[in-house]
Amino acid sequence: MSAVLAATEGAHATFPLLTTLVVLPAAGALVVGLLSKRRPELCRTVALLVSVLTGALTIATLVAFEAGGAEFQMVEQYSWIRDLGISWHLGVDGISLFLLVMTGVLFPIAIIGAPAPHDEKPFLAWLLLLEAGCLGVFLALDLFVFFVMFEIVLVPMYFLISGWGYAERRYASMKFFLYTMFGSAFMLVGLIATAVLHGRATGQVTFDLVTIASQQGEIATTTARWLFLAFAIAFAIKVPLFPLHTWLPDAHTQAPTAGSVILAGVMLKLGTYGFLRFGLYLFPEASAWFAPAMVTLGTVGVIYGAVVATMQKDLKRLVAYSSVAHLGFIVLGTFSLTTQGLEGSVLQMVNHGISTGALFLLVGMISDRRHTREIAALKGLQKVAPVFAGVFTVVMMSSLGLPGLNGFVGEFLILLGSFTSARWWSVVAAAGVILAALYLLWAYQRTFHGEPDPDNEGFREISLREGLVMAPLLGLIVFLGVYPKPVLERIEPSITALVAHVEGNSDFREPAVDKTGPAARSDVYAEAESQGEGHGGAGTEGEGEAPATDGGAHDEEGGG
Amino acid sequence: MLELTWLIPALPLAGFVVLMVLGRRLGEPLAGWLATAAVGGSFVASAVVFVGMLGRHGEERAFSQVLFEWVPAGGFSVDVGFLADPLSVTMCLFITGIATLIHLYAIGYMHGDRDFSKFFVYLNLFVFSMLMLVLGDNLLVTFLGWEGVGACSYFLISFWHTSDANASAGKKAFVTNRVGDWGYMVAMFLTFTALGSIRYVDIQAGAGGLATTTATAITLLLLVGAAGKSAQLPLFVWLPDAMAGPTPVSALIHAATMVTSGVYLLTRMNPVIAVGSDWVPTVIAVVGAATALFAATVAVAQTDIKKVLAYSTISQLGYMFLAVGSGAYVAAIFHMVTHAFFKALLFLGSGSVIHGLGDEQDMRRMGALRKLLPVTSATFIVGWLAIAGVPPFSGFWSKDEILLYAWDLSPALWAVGFVTAILTAFYMSRQVFLTFFGEARWDRPLAEAAPDLARERGVPAGSADGEAEGRPDGDEAASPTVVNVYESGHLPHGVGPLGPIQPHESSWTMTLPLVVLAVLAVAGGALQLPFTSGTKRLEHWLEPVVAPGEHHLAVATGTKWALAAVAVVGGLVGIAAAVALYLRRRRAEQPAEPALLARGWYYDSGLAAFAGGPGRIAFDTLAWFDRTVVDGAVNGVAWLVRGTGGGLRRTQSGFVRAYAGFVAFGAVVVVAVMVFRGVVL
Amino acid sequence: MMALLAELQSIETPGVAWAALSPFLVLVGGATLLLGAGGLLPRRTKVGWPALWTVATALAAIVAAVLLWRDLPESGTRTVVRGAYAVDGFSLFLIVVICVGLIIGALLTDGYLRREDLEGPEPSILFLVSAAGGVIMASAADLIVLFLGLEILSIAAYVLAGLHRRRMRSGEAALKYFVLGGFSSAFFLYGIALVYGATGTTNMVGIAEFLATNRLTDEGLLLAGVGLMLVGFGFKVAAAPFHAWTPDVYQGAPSPVVAFMASSVKVAGFAGMLRVIVVTFSTHRLDWQPVVYGLAVASLVVGAVLAVVQTDVKRMMAYSSINHAGFVLVAVAAASTDGISAALFYLATYTLLVGGTFGVVTVLGRKGDGHHSLEDYRGLARREPLLAAALVVFLLAQAGTPLTSGFLAKFYAVSAIVEAGSFWLGLVAMLTAVVSAFLYLRIILSMYGGPDDGEEAGPPAVPARRIRVPLAAKVTIALALMATVGIGVVPDPLTRTARDATPDLVAEDPAPSP
Repeated sequence: MSAVLAATEGAHATFPLLTTLVVLPAAGALVVGLLSKRRPELCRTVALLVSVLTGALTIATLVAFEAGGAEFQMVEQYSWIRDLGISWHLGVDGISLFLLVMTGVLFPIAIIGAPAPHDEKPFLAWLLLLEAGCLGVFLALDLFVFFVMFEIVLVPMYFLISGWGYAERRYASMKFFLYTMFGSAFMLVGLIATAVLHGRATGQVTFDLVTIASQQGEIATTTARWLFLAFAIAFAIKVPLFPLHTWLPDAHTQAPTAGSVILAGVMLKLGTYGFLRFGLYLFPEASAWFAPAMVTLGTVGVIYGAVVATMQKDLKRLVAYSSVAHLGFIVLGTFSLTTQGLEGSVLQMVNHGISTGALFLLVGMISDRRHTREIAALKGLQKVAPVFAGVFTVVMMSSLGLPGLNGFVGEFLILLGSFTSARWWSVVAAAGVILAALYLLWAYQRTFHGEPDPDNEGFREISLREGLVMAPLLGLIVFLGVYPKPVLERIEPSITALVAHVEGNSDFREPAVDKTGPAARSDVYAEAESQGEGHGGAGTEGEGEAPATDGGAHDEEGGG
Repeated sequence: MLELTWLIPALPLAGFVVLMVLGRRLGEPLAGWLATAAVGGSFVASAVVFVGMLGRHGEERAFSQVLFEWVPAGGFSVDVGFLADPLSVTMCLFITGIATLIHLYAIGYMHGDRDFSKFFVYLNLFVFSMLMLVLGDNLLVTFLGWEGVGACSYFLISFWHTSDANASAGKKAFVTNRVGDWGYMVAMFLTFTALGSIRYVDIQAGAGGLATTTATAITLLLLVGAAGKSAQLPLFVWLPDAMAGPTPVSALIHAATMVTSGVYLLTRMNPVIAVGSDWVPTVIAVVGAATALFAATVAVAQTDIKKVLAYSTISQLGYMFLAVGSGAYVAAIFHMVTHAFFKALLFLGSGSVIHGLGDEQDMRRMGALRKLLPVTSATFIVGWLAIAGVPPFSGFWSKDEILLYAWDLSPALWAVGFVTAILTAFYMSRQVFLTFFGEARWDRPLAEAAPDLARERGVPAGSADGEAEGRPDGDEAASPTVVNVYESGHLPHGVGPLGPIQPHESSWTMTLPLVVLAVLAVAGGALQLPFTSGTKRLEHWLEPVVAPGEHHLAVATGTKWALAAVAVVGGLVGIAAAVALYLRRRRAEQPAEPALLARGWYYDSGLAAFAGGPGRIAFDTLAWFDRTVVDGAVNGVAWLVRGTGGGLRRTQSGFVRAYAGFVAFGAVVVVAVMVFRGVVL
Repeated sequence: MMALLAELQSIETPGVAWAALSPFLVLVGGATLLLGAGGLLPRRTKVGWPALWTVATALAAIVAAVLLWRDLPESGTRTVVRGAYAVDGFSLFLIVVICVGLIIGALLTDGYLRREDLEGPEPSILFLVSAAGGVIMASAADLIVLFLGLEILSIAAYVLAGLHRRRMRSGEAALKYFVLGGFSSAFFLYGIALVYGATGTTNMVGIAEFLATNRLTDEGLLLAGVGLMLVGFGFKVAAAPFHAWTPDVYQGAPSPVVAFMASSVKVAGFAGMLRVIVVTFSTHRLDWQPVVYGLAVASLVVGAVLAVVQTDVKRMMAYSSINHAGFVLVAVAAASTDGISAALFYLATYTLLVGGTFGVVTVLGRKGDGHHSLEDYRGLARREPLLAAALVVFLLAQAGTPLTSGFLAKFYAVSAIVEAGSFWLGLVAMLTAVVSAFLYLRIILSMYGGPDDGEEAGPPAVPARRIRVPLAAKVTIALALMATVGIGVVPDPLTRTARDATPDLVAEDPAPSP
């Protein structure tokens, strides 16, 4: 805590980077809103400039972020509503860092890659406002601020869907808004109750996340469980978790391409991120208590989403349901409460954002060209547009978790982690990997393979602009698959601290694995440097103690 | 010299990248040559590493090279690292060796294909993945290769993507493999939770400490994975369909290398298997034996030249599993190598035949090609003798050793293996006779030469005139369609012209590999000759790796000779039977080819029926459930609110008296409540 | 009036009293002067003098109130005129709010009258008088005075409802409002009588002291009285089940008048309710709290659920106002300092909100004030982008979207009730907010739906003639807009003021009522 306060002092002196991250896009939205709508190209330039600048700032955050720190960095805190102890409190840690960067990267891509079919000006303004909200959610360290941001993102998305969506957009947008707001209702009450009860216990009311979270035990255990539930409903809807997922297919399918990209890439993460920040961190005991239920729901989501996706006839709907499955994985990893599982979840949030974002972009390109997303109406595209097909293939492979591409690393860690704590669920969820191959490859076959019929003969090959849009995503897909270490090592401290936090406040204990490995590892390393001696030696010292898992956790406890 | 290990996979990777970037610009045949060079280079690298390893003795022949840390997370950490030890180097040698030859072959075979360069992109990527698989120093890197080869096989099977058969065959292969991968992954998790590491070094070190049940579970899960990759019962279904791919692919991926990785994996994990319950190896052996016999019976009745080889491959892989199951890891690897030689040879040979016959793939349209395709036929015959287990060809030695160990485990298994050996000799002889001997069935129009085939292809008997239109660029994977395939604008792959065919020998790029492989098929046995311990080179070489699991024979020398003799006799019996059935007699009345076998015991079709029937229904039901029940509940709530609103709306009659009534009523209630409380409390 | 003046002579230092009464007197004076001058002025003028005069008067009243507020610290909260008229933060705050509502009403009316050519000073006079009544209600410390205020307020409002002479619905609305209003006033008056019977005084301070000191053997009489008064207030604030008149009246009455009714009248009603129920009878909280709970839930649900099936925007607004009343009742039910300040905050923001909303609605009504169906609003975003945008903001604020005053109002109300220990009521409130969000979104959707496939064919319901927005309305809407967003982003000042305004005579106990 003292660290945070110290940082706060510092924050006033230094440039308020994080606040800028939120304010800049909002201001950009305002500017675009004020521009004349007779000059769309100007609006486009401004919007693009702002989003790119914001993206650059997120990168700057990434650079400024020093790895190895578990607590929040670059913290900024300004009082907002003094009576209720509400303050504009922003900060970033390993968990939120890469979600920020992902958001910063996805928005410019969405703006370039999926321009509005009509009325560009308001479209862009809404997008920028949306970006501000999303970044705000990931940065907020104050319950009130979080809720404000969590709610505000609904409005732009509502307008994006209802204004620029497809035929069913009215129904879809309404469903999306009301369904999410329904969850938020619970969260708001739970959030107020948390602050009030905490205030009653400690004597002064505050909505500050860090304060409340660090003072566990002020709220009675059973009460905390109810409060967790209130939050969980909101997040479960946002994620979305089976059986609260049915707004998603409609919203994703009806939204304009850019909307779908952001919806799947960023907004779904608000829920999973919420689980991490306002579930595990705020209510560690309750999270551990509810973990079995959540893990179950996650696993069900994995299988259920995959099965239903297989049967979809609309390409976009199929991708939407695949998100249900992927997000199920993330929830599974989150509530496995193990270091690997949690790290996998955070990584997978980023991965899913990239892969599914890319998938929606590609599907959008298809429906722009063919004016249909019906799988049945598409055929043999690979013959007429081989490069397009190639790009699609790579993205698809990353989405079905092919090792060497980003999707795999996250999925693997999630399953590995959950295997240690929720063995059988992980075994079941692993079967989801089979189904993923089934629905994606089947869809690919029906769409791209075969002889193109006359309608698809004229399918246009990927254009330069589209190529430029996809390039960074493909780059990330490969990079994160081959060398995720830089990401993981920045995530790890916060995660280990979080796990320690949960363990410290509940009777949950992260299952430790046998010690043979680490000891032998170090042994073999030495040997690897010096002309690989035989592995016999490894065997003898293999039984050495010093578990790296627990050891690591202790280090972090010391640090955090 | 061992430091060059990283170079082995690096070169194909480089080839892949280069070709992907400017493959189209290089075009044909330059792209092909570049790819071949890359793989050849990696063969050289392997050889260098091999020599370097020879320089050391037994215990020191394990070199692990870590490039960078791949996935560090908490107590779990995995490197992209290579483990060069006798086993992996052996694999590298024959993989890169055969791959080089097949690349060379493919330059000729893929001549004129519109995606010539892309083919080599995939091929190089495959070799890279395969090498990652065998060189990985931990289960995860191996898994990277494992899935990588799966993906490449998917790409290459559906390489001629415009035909539906190829497309579904590719998908089928990938999905079926994924089923196996599930087992692999869970096994990995289990290993990690049990040992805290998934490096082979640690596994070898810590296996001893494993609980029996854990080890058993890991083994069985790995078996699932291996069965998927190596096309064993019950997951073999994808391999026959995979023949839809170009023949070089069949030779490289679906005969020599990828399909053997299951055997490699089990061998690699032999320390764990050794710890598991003692019934586990038997399970593996039984799976192997069953598959071997099953596939052999099916191979007997196939008419598609590649299908025969496909089922034969499955059967031979069954042998290898049988070997692993009976603790004969060396024999397994030995047979893997020899099989790689002669099966690649046979596939390439068949490819050359198909090529020479204008893409005809059905043996009922062949015969008497001996003269016209001298090199092909000669080499093919060598392969035949090798697989039929005729001494001194390589196949004899490896198969004999496996049977020996099987006998030691249980005579029943030996019996199965023996029967399979007879069948193998039989169906291979049948193939050779139908292809290269007997009467020519290509010099006349299809309808006359092979009426039943013509019927299958929907050609009305008698209409012998049609000329094959244009070069085929689709492929029905020898799944005959009732519609006349010749009337659809273009000919599918594997279907020869309707009229007479002029067979021709293939170019040197195709025949050279045949010759080389033939030599290897003859001499391959020299790796491991059972006479003296001195001649058991492979055994000594692999000793450090397989020591924990290797079973030690307790069979008298006399028995050994007896078994060997019996095996040889069996082989000869099989050949004799084929001679009697297919060489002497005219094959008008289909001998010994019941539909049951031709259709592969209806296993595949049954599976498909299930997936398309109950399976699909189940999936649809769930989708329906999602639409109506889950989403219906949501809309139901909305409907409910609306309904209530509509109901209450009637109270807004607009009459003042009604409103006054409400007010009065409300007042009464309010007062009542308050007074009531006041009085009672 | 006469009685009051009679009182005044007998006071030694009337100066103080005069000063204390200044806001009220300003309004009454303004009304009287306008009444006199009204006859002399020509009916049709370029500049809307009556409206201007009203605004000026209202501003003067606000200034007076602010002055009193400024020297509250030394003079302290006090009652004048024999404890009949209270001067404290509470009353002053609400006086300001009422006057703001008055200003909005007046400004909107001006343009409205010109459009419907009904020019004349009468509406302004009525507005002033009604507001004066509201001021009395806000400051009354004696039940009788409170009743006087109520009647002054109401009777003027009845007439205002019937302002549009040529519209049948307007007259009908006026009649309904009048009849039912009279009906409920009777309940209220009877309640006063009962309370007097039980406590022997009509002075609130007296009552509070009496109840604090004595224990009644039989509370039936008192409680019945309180209940009846609740009915009266419930009617004025349009709380279910006393809401039935609202939809008809809102739909029929001229839009600007509705703005006034939804803001000032409601405020006055809640002023009385807070002072009487919450403050005076704080000792009997456990008796009336359940009833208020009931009213709150009923209003929330009825307001939300019935709105869903409406297609007329003004009617929708009527129901949404019922829902909002429910939210304020939630704050009232909390019966704590936080509750009262939350209610004050809610009323203040809601006044601006509803003012802005009806400002737009008034303008969109077009001549005849008839175009209020959803169909009329279709595609408005294209024809009137600015108006549409403004309306969107107001609607989203009413729906409780963050960064608008509406969200904070709801937030405070819910926090108050949660702090008072009943989470479920807070939850119910928020859930009904979700339901009522549907109707706001519906309006937005019909304006913004974008080019609509299918419905594209038919021409828009109304001729796409640009709507002339009178300056006064422009100003009103703009100010309301700024206030809505401004308070939403920087709520601290208003929050503080509301808190300071809260009377300290509430029985404070943070312990949650079971």
